[in-house]
Amino acid sequence: MSALILQDLVKSYGSVPALNGVSFEVGQGEFFCLLGPSAAGKTTTLRAVAGLEKLDSGTITFAGRDQTGLPVQGRDIAMIFQSFALYPHMSAYDNLAYPLREQKLPRAQIRQRVGEIAEMLRLSHVLARKPDTLSGGEQQRVAIGRALIRRPRLLLLDEPLTNLDAKLRHETRAEFKRLHRELDMTLLYATPDQLEALTMGNRIAVLRAGKVVQVGTPDELYDGPVDRFVGALIGAPAMNLVTATSAGAGALETGFGRLDNGPWSQALGGFGRGESLLLGFRPHDISPLEPGAAAPLTVQAKIHLTEPLGDITVLDLRAGDTTFKMVLPEEKAVAYAVGDEFDVSIALERTHLFAAATGTAIR
Amino acid sequence: MAETALNDTRAPLGITELRAGNWRLALLVAVIVMTVSIIALPGEISFWVSLAAVLFVGLSIVINAWGNSPGPLLVAPALALLVVMNIFPLMWSFGLSFFKFRVNRLAPPKFTGLSNYEKILTDPTVWDRLQTTAIVVVLTVTTQMVVGFLLALLFEREFPLRRVLLMLVLTPMMLSFVAVGAFFRFYYEPTFGLLSQAVRVFTGEVFILQATPAGAMAGIVIADAWMWSPFVMLLVVAGLVSVPKYLYEAAEIDRASWWRKFRTITFPYIRSLLLLALLFRTIEAFKLFDIVFLITDGGPGTSTETIAVYVYRLGFQAFRTSQASALSYILLFVVIVLTNLYLYFARQRDAQV
Repeated sequence: MSALILQDLVKSYGSVPALNGVSFEVGQGEFFCLLGPSAAGKTTTLRAVAGLEKLDSGTITFAGRDQTGLPVQGRDIAMIFQSFALYPHMSAYDNLAYPLREQKLPRAQIRQRVGEIAEMLRLSHVLARKPDTLSGGEQQRVAIGRALIRRPRLLLLDEPLTNLDAKLRHETRAEFKRLHRELDMTLLYATPDQLEALTMGNRIAVLRAGKVVQVGTPDELYDGPVDRFVGALIGAPAMNLVTATSAGAGALETGFGRLDNGPWSQALGGFGRGESLLLGFRPHDISPLEPGAAAPLTVQAKIHLTEPLGDITVLDLRAGDTTFKMVLPEEKAVAYAVGDEFDVSIALERTHLFAAATGTAIR
Repeated sequence: MAETALNDTRAPLGITELRAGNWRLALLVAVIVMTVSIIALPGEISFWVSLAAVLFVGLSIVINAWGNSPGPLLVAPALALLVVMNIFPLMWSFGLSFFKFRVNRLAPPKFTGLSNYEKILTDPTVWDRLQTTAIVVVLTVTTQMVVGFLLALLFEREFPLRRVLLMLVLTPMMLSFVAVGAFFRFYYEPTFGLLSQAVRVFTGEVFILQATPAGAMAGIVIADAWMWSPFVMLLVVAGLVSVPKYLYEAAEIDRASWWRKFRTITFPYIRSLLLLALLFRTIEAFKLFDIVFLITDGGPGTSTETIAVYVYRLGFQAFRTSQASALSYILLFVVIVLTNLYLYFARQRDAQV
């Protein structure tokens, strides 16, 4: 069942368009991520759902009720801002209690609920302090607590990890997953970081230039990107893209030779010869070819550069005019050095094909 | 550098050394000459002798400074002006408050200790005028704060012609007190004044605002509030603009009502500026003279005679110069105490928040 339904949201700031018809549906209790580069419209979408932004057109339905024209206070939502937006002149306790005081709850009950949420977020020892004396992680947790304390049915998160350092980001990601599991809330989470979206989201909507490009589970987006933009956005290191031309009858002419029997062959059948295309394959789908073994797509490549990343190593390879990246586990990578030449096999069944002009996937 | 080093190592001038820049010697000579002339010569001559002695010391100090470091000499004219026009009269009037003296009599000042202060503090008229002043202060400051605050809420948001209107609203503050007083006297003027004419349309009779104590008080308060509400507005607008927008958004997300947003977010941000406006306006209202003098001249009777007007009457109509000085210093003291009380409370609150 869909809890939140966005239909054709359009919004522009003066002559600058921010949303060009954003539509998607979020299920009840889902952890839904909005993924896209900056200025894609993630924040505007969230602010529109919150009611902070007046839409030019489009409707927002939550729990079966049209919310489009409602004031912010009339919507049962909470929001965590990128800047945290804590009240600087109030203690952490008063920040947490702020949404409850609006409900005119008795004092004892407020104290109890603040105590509970502080316990859950490990904030009990800093309740008396002002936000500017708290660490970044503590400020973040106060912001989370303030959003959760009213037990909203929908929680909006606007790049909440952007202002945290790498270690805290990792911890807070786990924290969000835990909270989502425990609290049974619908979450709408905006992030520019594909890793956050892939690790936390039940489903992801990829936004670009104020439009939803693709909606799907992390696996669907990873395995079946709808265009080269989604393909390159999801997964790290990014998908390799090499130029190719159609050779007719579902075959492909590339720098690696003539290819057919790819997952795209059937769709390519309708193309004439000489169409400009892009072949995409992920660095994880390349492996060194065992001596004597055979594979449908093998390339002789020379190592141009190595990037050791701890447990994995990224190799920059060159084959003829084309360059691409592959990933090896660290223990295998030690056998290779810059300048080595060896045969690699690219998993043909996991390659993607895109039209060069429009970028849309051919499948 | 070498020259200053040389200057520094040079031994200071001995007091007995006979040089133009030896100001210590000049001062010693001047003090002796003045004392001798005041004792031995008649008053008129000793005055000029003393003046010459002061100039002599001043010249010596200037010559000394010129040789050592001319920097301070550059601010000397400004300092001299300040001393002559401001500090000296201030000290002189403070001194006078301990003497029996009237500017319209030839009798020289006679030292009487604290008797002027005693007279002032036991004078029931002074207490009555202080009460009048308190009423004026409370009424006009309250009006200014309320009107200024409402204006600020209005001018905080963008609307067409905002800049033009803002300039118009700020104009009264730029006018001189006398101009404002004169304007309002004409507005309130019974025969051809705007107010009287407007009332006459309804009642058919001439309306004399200043005829009743309450009306006269209202006239003063309206004029003063008209002039100074923009000042309060200016400070409050500055405070309102300084509130980060995202705090309001966060509060809306937390479902805060308009009133609660105002109380918990806006007010803490503008509180210190409100206190400042209150302080400035209270001090100014306490000293209010020009507008009262021009609009009601203290009347009817003495019902709107503020303490500042009373000081003026005492000093320049009754010519009880030294008593007026004493009263002025009592008022100065009151203002200083008020100011420090405000600052104390403002700091207490800031420490709490």
